[in-house]
Amino acid sequence: MPVAWPDKEDNELLALVRDGSHPAFGALVERHEDRYYRLAFRYLQNRAAAEDIVQDAFLKLWENPGRWEPDKNSKFTTWFYRVVVNLCLDWQKRKRPLALNEEMPLIDDRESADQMIVRREEQRMLEQAIAALPERQRTAINLCFSEDLSNQDAADAMGVHLKALQSLIMRAKTTLKERMKNML
Amino acid sequence: MTENQDEKLARMLRSRRIEPASHDLAARIILQAQSLPQLENTSLWHSVRQLFAEFHLPKPGYVLAGALILGMLLGFSTAPENGQLSDLGSTTAQSYIAGDEGFL
Repeated sequence: MPVAWPDKEDNELLALVRDGSHPAFGALVERHEDRYYRLAFRYLQNRAAAEDIVQDAFLKLWENPGRWEPDKNSKFTTWFYRVVVNLCLDWQKRKRPLALNEEMPLIDDRESADQMIVRREEQRMLEQAIAALPERQRTAINLCFSEDLSNQDAADAMGVHLKALQSLIMRAKTTLKERMKNML
Repeated sequence: MTENQDEKLARMLRSRRIEPASHDLAARIILQAQSLPQLENTSLWHSVRQLFAEFHLPKPGYVLAGALILGMLLGFSTAPENGQLSDLGSTTAQSYIAGDEGFL
């Protein structure tokens, strides 16, 4: 789907959204929904739930676009990561954890049957190990290993210093390596 | 060995399975927003912040402005008690001027 208004920055679109512009809101949604969906999916491992979270986050933004203050906050995308993370954590607190899908689709269709089985098991164990991490470590892993988020942006999104984020990642990786030592 | 473990873990973390979103997710969000009104932020705090966003004074300016406002408030609140004193002051000034005129 082509993204509307490619020449406009996020903060310009937000200014229009504050004035009630539906096209500007549409452009923001089309520009960013995928990255926030991916983040929500990493937390929830469930498509419907992740879509609900993204929808909820964007509708809250539409209802009250003044929540993002360009002078005070960092980049819109960083701030919105925090919004989505908070919604995911709230969702997880309210709902029972979802069972991981046993029939995970595989990433590479060219793999042999044996490789596919090993890969599936690796993925299942990894998701279980991540789900069992403490909340902040899980958030650090989910943010830092997403597509285009630098450690500094991830630290901003979590509201912590870079060194604190690095420490969280290190502890999370140590725990994951311990829990997955048979797979690594 | 440890380095290999790190690399493999990083690779696995980067290649986590993501089920693609519905193709109409963006359209659904946009459609739903069309039936939602935007909230008017009319809180007192918001109004005060908006007011101060318009004026950029240095910090001493705020202190001075605050002192002036406080002074005016105190002045107005004590005005009825000083009413007679003000009249007395104007009378005194008038008699002083009149005295000057007489002298001249």
